Amino acid sequence: MNRQQMNGGARRAVFTPVDNRARVDAVVRRIGDAIELGLLADGEQLPGESELAGQLGVSTVTLREALMALRQQGLLTTRRGRGGGSFVSLPEVPGEERLKARLRGWGTEELRDLGDHWAALSGTAARLAAERTEPEDLLQLRRTAEELARAEDAAARGRVYGRFHVELAAAAQSARLTREQVALQTEVGALLCLVLADDEYREEVADRHRSVISAVQDGAHRTARELAERCVQESTARLIALRLTL
Amino acid sequence: MKLATAALGTAPEESVAAEVGSALESVFDAVSATRAETTALLARVAADHRRPATVDLAALRPGLHLRLARNALVSGVGFVAAPGLLGDVPAWLEWWQSGAEGDVRPLLLDLDPDHSAYADYTHWDWFALPRDTGERAVAGPYVDYLCSDEYSLTLSAPVETEGRFAGVAAADVYLRHFEAAVLPLLRRLPGPAHLVNARGRVAASADPAHLAGSLTKGPDFAAVLESARPARHDGMRLIPCRGVPLVLVTSPR
Repeated sequence: MNRQQMNGGARRAVFTPVDNRARVDAVVRRIGDAIELGLLADGEQLPGESELAGQLGVSTVTLREALMALRQQGLLTTRRGRGGGSFVSLPEVPGEERLKARLRGWGTEELRDLGDHWAALSGTAARLAAERTEPEDLLQLRRTAEELARAEDAAARGRVYGRFHVELAAAAQSARLTREQVALQTEVGALLCLVLADDEYREEVADRHRSVISAVQDGAHRTARELAERCVQESTARLIALRLTL
Repeated sequence: MKLATAALGTAPEESVAAEVGSALESVFDAVSATRAETTALLARVAADHRRPATVDLAALRPGLHLRLARNALVSGVGFVAAPGLLGDVPAWLEWWQSGAEGDVRPLLLDLDPDHSAYADYTHWDWFALPRDTGERAVAGPYVDYLCSDEYSLTLSAPVETEGRFAGVAAADVYLRHFEAAVLPLLRRLPGPAHLVNARGRVAASADPAHLAGSLTKGPDFAAVLESARPARHDGMRLIPCRGVPLVLVTSPR
């Protein structure tokens, strides 16, 4: 191989960002989760490639690879020509099966790490909220805990579970913790549907949320932190246990 | 003699409280202008015997952009429709924000309850307070994870059409901008000073013992605001800011 060739394609490939694969996976997860959660509806058209790449902060090459993976998973179809583009298509397989396929894309170590990050966010949020909360701040959290206890379909349960943790971060008066929690819920929300489909566990989570609210209201900041951490750890443990059966 | 000293001592505090009030009054001017334009717009539509739609609200945009450009404290401004007001959508925010590069952009939210856990905005203080009291209101400080992801104050006022509540006109002030505006005023005072809302939540502070977002416990700040007169509590002086629901708190040096 001469020098000229080295300066060509192969050499350029050496100097592309190393985390490209991770970026593709991240985009696949993000859009796949949005479809599972019903944030993107069956038949909905995605924005154009360059616009979508810009919104997600990735190159169009990365985006194209991700769209291809989503097509292979049967979550997108592409139509060419006028009025063409990428469209959300929900396959016939039941939602639970598709979610399990998504969960298979996670290693148990990754799930454990996700749980650690989540527990750090929600535990700290609960502690700060207990220090900084007065009764009116708790109205939204109470409403969300009751909504979870009533939510019928699994996707709605996942969304409302996530909202509780976002509202907890907001009650801590921290914009940074809130932004982190919103980002984390876009990753974990779809997966949580899998463990929340069980009515008994859904009720347990609603109870755990109610006891976090009580500790926050009492200003019991250590207890609030422990309860929030335990709630998150229990959900992660269930996800990992489920992952090991797949 | 002691009383006289105390009375004299409050003079600089009262002037600072008044200046904080007028800083926020300039934001309320943006809210009032939005309210007036929206009210006139809804009246014109009603005179045509039809229901307003999102396309009608586009007429508010030049005014909203102007207010974002003119007042450095205002980072978001608009009209938030009461659910059911518009004919073409169940709920809507005609909301514009200033971007990091001085540009203005619309806020686009997913307000479909089947998709979003955040579709219902009617319980937020900035919406519920003007709706329930018929008066203008200051919400926050609070983490605004619906619109801006910022720690904010939102000033709002009710809009009516044909004698019914139609939504709220509102403006967002990011807390960091509010702090930059009022910190020089607080630091003029001889002792440590901070500002709290009616619930005791610190909105801005030149006192390291009371940081923004924390609660100052003890005094009944709502009662101080209600009376509109200075009060004392455990060595703290409590001075209501004129026209806005904030209390200036000074601690002994």
